[in-house]
Amino acid sequence: MGSELRKDMPVLQVTDLSKDYMIDDQRLKAVDNVSFTADRGEMISIVGHSGSGKTTLLSLIGGLTKPDRGRVLIDGTDLWALDDRKRSELRSRRVSFIYQFSSLIPTLTALENIILPTTFGDFSADVEQYARELLGIVGLEDKARSYPSHLSGGQQRRIAIARAFINNPEIVLADEPTGDLDEETEQQIIALFKRMNGEKKVTFIIVTHNREIADRTSRQMRMSNGVLVAQEQGNHL
Amino acid sequence: MKKIGIFGLALRNLRRKLVRTVILLVTVAVVTGTLLGATAFITGMRNALKIGTYRLGADVLVVPEKNEAQAKSALLAGEPTTFYMDRSILEKVQKIEGVKKATAQLFIKPTSFTCCYNVDAFLIAFDPATDFTITPWLEKRLKKPLADDEIVTGSSLPVIAGDTLPFFGTPFTVAGTMEPTGMKFFDQSVFMTMKAAYEMAANSKTKSMQPLELQKDSISAVLVQVQEGFTPERAAIRIEHDVDGVKAIASDEVISTVRRQLGGLLKGIVAISLIVWILALLMMGFAFYMIVNERQRELGLLRAMGARRDQIFGLIMTEAMFLSLAGGVTGIAVGSGLLYTFKDLIMRGLKLPYLLPSVFVLLELVAGALLFAILTGVLSSLLPAAAASRMEPYEAIRKGE
Repeated sequence: MGSELRKDMPVLQVTDLSKDYMIDDQRLKAVDNVSFTADRGEMISIVGHSGSGKTTLLSLIGGLTKPDRGRVLIDGTDLWALDDRKRSELRSRRVSFIYQFSSLIPTLTALENIILPTTFGDFSADVEQYARELLGIVGLEDKARSYPSHLSGGQQRRIAIARAFINNPEIVLADEPTGDLDEETEQQIIALFKRMNGEKKVTFIIVTHNREIADRTSRQMRMSNGVLVAQEQGNHL
Repeated sequence: MKKIGIFGLALRNLRRKLVRTVILLVTVAVVTGTLLGATAFITGMRNALKIGTYRLGADVLVVPEKNEAQAKSALLAGEPTTFYMDRSILEKVQKIEGVKKATAQLFIKPTSFTCCYNVDAFLIAFDPATDFTITPWLEKRLKKPLADDEIVTGSSLPVIAGDTLPFFGTPFTVAGTMEPTGMKFFDQSVFMTMKAAYEMAANSKTKSMQPLELQKDSISAVLVQVQEGFTPERAAIRIEHDVDGVKAIASDEVISTVRRQLGGLLKGIVAISLIVWILALLMMGFAFYMIVNERQRELGLLRAMGARRDQIFGLIMTEAMFLSLAGGVTGIAVGSGLLYTFKDLIMRGLKLPYLLPSVFVLLELVAGALLFAILTGVLSSLLPAAAASRMEPYEAIRKGE
């Protein structure tokens, strides 16, 4: 497949994706027959009540859990047709995750945490310069040598965001990235996402309860009981 | 800054819970130290036995029947002893079929008045004319025959060449000292010629407060070398059959006696080592299960960052390998130190021959112990590492919350 064609096609294609869980002998449809596509540089929010399947959907898209049915194509590559090794490599190069909880490794400094993903992939040996650039972008260049325990919750989240960009991903999957944060930090993070989205044409899929974040994405999707019940371009569902 | 690397990440992880890391390290150190100690003991005893029996140089030792236990005690534990039989035994033994060479020796236990040293010296007199056991290595050491006023001492006696030592009132010049063998029978012995021993006995009546009662034709033992085609056991049976009142001890029998003595000790050492090892394996295995369990979310996050299964497996294994290696080196250092420091004390208590193995053999034992330590780490962490690598990333992240 040529690169011209690849640029034209959606970066992400989700088709009939389903995931069930057995709880007390009862089958629970966590994600039920979800289909959608995402273009390069698109910023999509997924909203819905707790337990509606948003996080599971994100994990299916990122190849962290196997769907029972359906397909996930990233740049035309069927994620679940790959073996674990190739899927890990694809994740390492094209997909990044941002979580609500503190996802930093406590024994590594801020700079080392940002560099960490390069341990698992084929990246150039000297990644420090880019990591420092990212530290600058998230406004924490003076915290390079700080350990997570010496950083505030907001600072830790910004380090995690910087880490998500060290591998120049095509898709960033963010699960409640501003949860538990004060309004000021929340605004900083949204601005950061916008900047990365604009500058690097990164596709964002953001799971959020936050109406303001959802309003600032280019497309909103609502999930209920594992089903994608509504999609709308621009503001407000 | 380069990439963190799996090794760097593993090191950081170990530093995270330092107390647990130190406990695991000490566990491996105890296992490795015990193993090294046990193997060094066993090797040292076998070494001593090998060199000792080689030094004995005889296939069969003929002693008075009633003194068999004393003779064995002298050979194996170096207990000084005195017993005699008539020289005619030597002539009878020399005529027996299968005997190639035979020579007589005298064993004399000096009284406390005769020597000024605390060490239990043991006098062994030999006949230079017929001897084939001591003379070869005496000549090698001295480069000349031993004179009748000279002695050669074992390595444990605190004397040097040129010293004068009186026995039963007769002064002897130390012509040389022997290399250690690990057997007290040799290391605490004083070698003199048979002629010198008889003269010393004769002179003791006037020169010594406790005279040595030794008849001119008395000997303590006959040492036999058998002809080719004859086994020491076969020759021993024939000697006992043809000569009345003697016990013929085959060299193999000496070795098997020591082996029997060692058997119980070895079983004990092996059992203790095995128990310590199994406990260490269980403890480390449990610790690594805990490590994997408490780091579930973190491992899931690493997978989300692109870590492959084999990299997660490698991370846990690297931690285990590093612990094993560091614990192994510590165990070897401490074990060697303790072994070297308390070697004499332990061997005195055990009353068994011991000769520290050569540097080359020691290096082999150290390498073996180190490999064993690494094996302990590998085996104990194999299942937890495999479980960690098989975890589904999403489940790991979710369960770790």
